[in-house]
Amino acid sequence: MSYVQVVNIDKSFQGRQVLKGIELEIEKGEFVTLLGPSGCGKTTLLRIVAGLERGDGGKVIVNGREIIEGQNKKEQNIGMVFQSYALFPNMTAFENIAFGLKIKKIPTQDIRKQVEEIMDILSISGKENNYPHQMSGGQQQRVALARALVVKPDLLLLDEPLSAVDAKVRESARILIRDVQKKMGITTIFVTHDQLEALVMSDRIVVINAGEVMQYGTPEEIYRRPANKFVAQFIGTYNFLPSSLVGIGDKETEICIRPEHILLVSKDQFPQIGNAEGIKLYGTLENFYILGNTARAEVLVQGRTIIVDHLNRFEGPKFALKEEVGLLIDKKVCTILGR
Amino acid sequence: MKRGIISKIVLGLIFAYLFFPIVATLLFSVATRWSTTILPEGYTLSYYKLLFSSPEFGHALLRTINVSFATVILSILIIIPSMYLAIVYYPRLEKLFEILSILPFAMPGVILAIGLIQMYSRGPLQITNTPWILIGSYFVLILPFMYQATKNSFRTINVKALTEAAMMLGCGKLETFIKIIFPNVLRGVISAALISVSVLFGEFVLANLLVGDNYETIQIYLYKMQKVDGHLANALVASYFMVILLMSLILIWLAFRRETEVRGQKTEAR
Ligand SMILES: Nc1ncnc2c1ncn2[C@@H]1O[C@H](COP(=O)(O)OP(=O)(O)O)[C@@H](O)[C@H]1O
Ligand SMILES: [Mg+2]
Repeated sequence: MSYVQVVNIDKSFQGRQVLKGIELEIEKGEFVTLLGPSGCGKTTLLRIVAGLERGDGGKVIVNGREIIEGQNKKEQNIGMVFQSYALFPNMTAFENIAFGLKIKKIPTQDIRKQVEEIMDILSISGKENNYPHQMSGGQQQRVALARALVVKPDLLLLDEPLSAVDAKVRESARILIRDVQKKMGITTIFVTHDQLEALVMSDRIVVINAGEVMQYGTPEEIYRRPANKFVAQFIGTYNFLPSSLVGIGDKETEICIRPEHILLVSKDQFPQIGNAEGIKLYGTLENFYILGNTARAEVLVQGRTIIVDHLNRFEGPKFALKEEVGLLIDKKVCTILGR
Repeated sequence: MKRGIISKIVLGLIFAYLFFPIVATLLFSVATRWSTTILPEGYTLSYYKLLFSSPEFGHALLRTINVSFATVILSILIIIPSMYLAIVYYPRLEKLFEILSILPFAMPGVILAIGLIQMYSRGPLQITNTPWILIGSYFVLILPFMYQATKNSFRTINVKALTEAAMMLGCGKLETFIKIIFPNVLRGVISAALISVSVLFGEFVLANLLVGDNYETIQIYLYKMQKVDGHLANALVASYFMVILLMSLILIWLAFRRETEVRGQKTEAR
């Protein structure tokens, strides 16, 4: 039996269904991300798992114990970091972090030791006596994380904790959260609408759309084998091409190809390279821009724009706009979407 | 330029209009004789001495303090937790609070008093002419002030998220209110209490009609004194003014401190 089980959770607000038969199993120590567009029900699901909201049907079991809304949370031992952090404004960083331990009636010397330890791990030592409004967003977020972690919860819930900090801090915070989670072995459910964040941090990702689980799998599976068109469109970039254009599959099916799997070559070179397995297309280069370490070309093929990505190397081929170019696609990388 | 001068003159006139009666009151309370001259003929503190040594004054003051503080404390104990519960658990009740808090303004004191006398001058709850009816009616009177001032405090914190954060850490409901919510609205509660106390110190209509001589408050005493000795009454008004001024200054200081703190917060966030 899994460490966390979410069984057939439904939830409606004012007659509008926002969660539909959610099923999830999470193993001990796993880092699972709920990923989906805003408004798809991520926060609601997290709140039901936390016991802050009651589901209309179904149940949640954490470490063998059923979570009941309204029941005293002392027993349930679930840590939560809120989107707004919800630090207690009348308490210093130290008092905020120590709060859960005090409730548990841990002796004062032990509290001091444990708080100092977690503050050290999260590199916020020295901020003990600062009030929340005297700290930056990134520091507040780490205090909120420390407050949830210091009680060593069975399950840690994080609701978009990185959405309010700037890009640089966000990148380092991703790594920090993942490192600490691994080090302490804490089973974690993380909520985000940022696909990159989900791919970088997670053991497994739950893709949610309109209150339904679209796919549950490792980042690799989600990226390579999207279960349906929603996942394919939501994660990364895909070219959706009719089967007639690439000449595989039957009529009506759609073929998805990642831009990085298409090779852009000059027209003269084209006949010599590739093999029988390769699909060869001709088109005109419509647009070309640099994304950073990759560069992107937009090629018009029979009235359709195909996106092609390649590493942005200095010695890479140079093409002029409106030049006729060739595209080489390996049949193995074509994904045929189930309806 | 011309505009600046005109507005300064207007402001000066308004200030004079407000200020002269106060200065006159102060002067009269320390004047020996003041009838035909522009300024008093001589000065004395004897009226203050007389006032503060009069046992009647002391008792009246004590009664006012008792009834005002009892009302304000009762009001804090009832209104703050109710507002908290409404915000977190019954958001729909907030509208009701809003309406309730405006209602007392719509009721003139005299009408309120007559209604209360009719209701409470016979059984089962016969409490007219006792301080209890004053506390009850004062509770209603200060409801708007208590509500408005604390509502703003509740607005500055995310009550629901703080409550849930505390609950997730295993904190009970009452404990959450005492340790997290109350300290964060304390400043609003203090200013609400100060406003309420100064309103109640100046209350005459209800006190006179509901309890009158049976529970002589400072305002009823003042009313009597005006008929007996003008100097003494003025000394009383001047002392009263000083107390209210002090409370107002504390209020302004509290408000100012909050403002600078909020501004500090914003610059920190950047
Ligand atoms: N307390 C509530 N009352 C009514 N509707 C709600 C409530 N909480 C959430 N919703 C609705 O449920 C849907 C899912 O919300 P939420 O779980 O917050 O989405 P997400 O976190 O994925 O952005 C949204 O359409 C939202 O408007
Ligand atoms: Mg959300």
